[in-house]
Amino acid sequence: MKLLGVLLLALFSSVSLADIGRPLENLAIQDAGRVKPLGTFAQESLQLIYGKKTFEGKSATEVVFTWLLIPDHWIKQPVVEIRHHGLKEALNITSPGKYFSPEELFGNPRLGLILQELQNQRTRQEKLNPYYQAVARLENQLALFRAIFTGVALRLVPDPATDTWKAVPDLDGPMREAFQRISKGFVDSISNSPVGSKPKPSAELQAAVDDFIAQARSLAPEKYGDNTKLKMELHLNHFHPFKWAWVCYLIAFLCMVAAMGWGSRAADRGGWIFLLVGFALHTYGMALRSYISGRPPVSNMYETVIWVPWGVLLFAMILERVQKNKMLTSCAAVVAIFCLILTDLAPTVLDKSLHPLEPVLRSTFWLSTHVLIITISYAAFFLAFALGDLVLFYYLKDEQKYARQIQSATQSIYRSIQIGVVLLAFGIILGGIWADYSWGRFWGWDPKETWALIALLGYLALLHCKLVGLVRGFGMAAGSIVAFALVIMAWYGVNMVLGAGLHTYGFGAGGVEYVTAFVVAHLLYVTYVSAVRYPRSKIQSK
Amino acid sequence: MSLAEKIIKFFASIKLAAFTILAIGVVSAVGTITEAKYNDADMANKLVYHSPWMYAVLGLLIIQLVAVMIDRWPWKQHHAGFVLAHIGIIILLIGSWVTQRYGIDGSIAFGIGEARNMVLVKDRDLIVFASLDGTEMRAIYDAPADFVRQPPTAEKPLIVPLGGDELRIVDHHQFAFRDAQINASEDPNDAPAIRFQLENPNVNMTEWLRLDRSRKRSELDLGPAKVVLSPEVLPPSGQNEVVLVVKPGQSTLDYLIYNKDKSLRKKGQVAQAETIDTGWMGLKFRLLRYLPHAEEKVSYQPMSYFTPVTTSAAKFVFNGREHWVALNQPLKLYMKDRAYVVIYGNRQLPLGFALNLKEFRMDKYQGTNRAATYESDVTTPDGQAVTISMNEPLKYAGFTFYQSSFEQDDSGRPTVSVLSVNKDPGRWIKYLGSFLIVLGSVVLFWFKRVKWLKKGSAV
Repeated sequence: MKLLGVLLLALFSSVSLADIGRPLENLAIQDAGRVKPLGTFAQESLQLIYGKKTFEGKSATEVVFTWLLIPDHWIKQPVVEIRHHGLKEALNITSPGKYFSPEELFGNPRLGLILQELQNQRTRQEKLNPYYQAVARLENQLALFRAIFTGVALRLVPDPATDTWKAVPDLDGPMREAFQRISKGFVDSISNSPVGSKPKPSAELQAAVDDFIAQARSLAPEKYGDNTKLKMELHLNHFHPFKWAWVCYLIAFLCMVAAMGWGSRAADRGGWIFLLVGFALHTYGMALRSYISGRPPVSNMYETVIWVPWGVLLFAMILERVQKNKMLTSCAAVVAIFCLILTDLAPTVLDKSLHPLEPVLRSTFWLSTHVLIITISYAAFFLAFALGDLVLFYYLKDEQKYARQIQSATQSIYRSIQIGVVLLAFGIILGGIWADYSWGRFWGWDPKETWALIALLGYLALLHCKLVGLVRGFGMAAGSIVAFALVIMAWYGVNMVLGAGLHTYGFGAGGVEYVTAFVVAHLLYVTYVSAVRYPRSKIQSK
Repeated sequence: MSLAEKIIKFFASIKLAAFTILAIGVVSAVGTITEAKYNDADMANKLVYHSPWMYAVLGLLIIQLVAVMIDRWPWKQHHAGFVLAHIGIIILLIGSWVTQRYGIDGSIAFGIGEARNMVLVKDRDLIVFASLDGTEMRAIYDAPADFVRQPPTAEKPLIVPLGGDELRIVDHHQFAFRDAQINASEDPNDAPAIRFQLENPNVNMTEWLRLDRSRKRSELDLGPAKVVLSPEVLPPSGQNEVVLVVKPGQSTLDYLIYNKDKSLRKKGQVAQAETIDTGWMGLKFRLLRYLPHAEEKVSYQPMSYFTPVTTSAAKFVFNGREHWVALNQPLKLYMKDRAYVVIYGNRQLPLGFALNLKEFRMDKYQGTNRAATYESDVTTPDGQAVTISMNEPLKYAGFTFYQSSFEQDDSGRPTVSVLSVNKDPGRWIKYLGSFLIVLGSVVLFWFKRVKWLKKGSAV
């Protein structure tokens, strides 16, 4: 209980730590097809250009706003990230490191030629290989940097006459003055802060921002957007519900391990409490995203990597109530911790920005139902996979000693796979209905649907083998791990390996090497345990 | 055990079932890799999903499904789920076969105000029209042309007999880039062409522009400015543009530079290798070449995969001369007393009525050029006015029309609406099959669950 208190305290203190950019985050900006808070825009921009959410301890909003105010300073700072070595070579950059100043890059004599080559690739409409993807990113980075420091990207004021908002350089009359008051408030806040301390926003700055928002809103209230949604989005940016969720899951996991080790009831109860708190935060975060974007939280890879572990926990908690198998929730907690940490570690692959949808994906009912069901079936398979890992570990340690654990975990694996198979079959068929409804094609051998089917076939083969005893306890555990490779292919591989196209030498982009390593490591694990166990089981059967 | 029973036992084996299930998975996986390799779903369909391999495994699956159900006869109550799911799969596969065999899956593309009564499908035909008496054109050859499955080669050409003449198809690229080269020509009937460069610190573009014989003007919109080539002085169009006027017999061109607000910025004369300063953001126009008469030489560069700018092309030999012809581009062959038109193109099927496009609308995501929604207003022959939008198709005379995409002109205005057109007599069979599969698997696992719960409570 004390721990929970400490956690909550840490939570609130992080929220109240105001930095100078904080008031500015509330400004609404029109960007990439929607209205969002400036705070979100700044984070996304810094993430694209610099590859991180903060620059040397300064918040994204502070950094982005000062690009506009003192461009001469920033153009000399190393804020542009180039990760691709080939691109560095092509630009003839010999200095080490991966951060370069915009001035250096704008002045690079080879840049024009390289961008021209990218343009040639585009006219031929070829898929871009990792090098050209890096060039395209650099083009975006420089274009965005330029658009921010000239102010044209900062479209802060709705125009009643057209759909496009007015950017900072186009402001006139009272809006221009209102913006100048913000700039003045911002500069004054910095100069009035004691040297060496983090500058704090002044009351004047806050007032200037409030005044600007009120004026901009009065110009076109219906275009300015839903104030609650903007506030909620900022809250989501600052609150990090998924981070707190995994912290809770980690504590829950440790409690559960302790409970199993020492048989402590208190630890077990504490584990459940933290698990439920984590689950509530997890749910809250997804609900927030759903509310802000107005669609179910499964429309990109990032969202599914959050949604699937939620399902894993849900199934684990239900099955644990039914089967009284303590291993379920601890395995699920590990899966959830892993996935949620992953979303923070790989921001370029798991892009968390809320992009507008393609037209055909806007029919939310069928789309959401079939995607929700298919991905939740992946959750059931993920649970079986995690249990399979654990069971193989028991086999490796001592098959006889852990016979009871092995037996109940195998039962849970079987049950999870059954749930997964029913849901996946249903989801694939609903996907067919959606495709028929939207395109007039029940089944079109689209790679995504085909791989979902292949995964289903894999598990069906496993269940059929179980039926005739070709596969027993060990085979079930090993099978749940091997078949999960098919789910990974359907979930991730179709987008990142096949989607990137075989021509783009997909490896090396989007973390393919890590995912491949993960899959290969598990296959090796299965092979190793089988190899170790085979002679043993021979002896036993004699 | 009789032979029939032995055969049924063999096919009802669950080990064999597991093998077949995995085999379908493997073939499907090869299909997705094939699609990624060629970047084209159609190639995967032809080479894998509708290949003998796939048909063989699916056929084996149906035999096994039937065999296992016979083997379990007489069915008991606990067989309900198993029987429902397996019958469901058979019905689903029958439905897919009906769709494949009797269904239509094509598209129509039309501009605003136009009508269409034909559907374009993916299958291709080779059609030859002939005019033997110099007047009427008649189709004398019309056959499916599947050059992916049966590629024509120099050793094994496809020969089309045309009375006394012979047309041979000796080569085919499924994916090729059209490469047009412009060369100076001696023929005074050939149209003029220019090669120019637009340059400022941010832009550097070099392009050819050739006057089309049939059209009055040719233009190229390069973003910062539009370049227009014309035989006469043209009025401004409301864009930053450079208009070049060709005058027969002169080695220089007249030029006019218009601003966005349609005002004249500059005019004068320009000769080859001269540069004009347009004054827009330091943009310079340089006339690199001027050819009073130019011919276009087209060749096709084979590609190993599809991109949106590749096309299929076939090599024809007629009377000892070779012709590379792109898909849906007619080839005209003239003899002294007769003429042929050869078309290697997508098959067109009659709708049986005409559909009219009245209007096309598009909504964009705010402040961007990305389409958010788009819809077409069409009228059917009985005078009904219907709006077809994303996810709201029109059903008419057995066909279903879905809004699928659109084409835009250079200024981003939509000009052509593309509908996908579909006729699926297998639809309800597939739905019935799907329903049985889902029902069956729920029953299957629910029964198991009951049994398992009872067992659990007994322990």
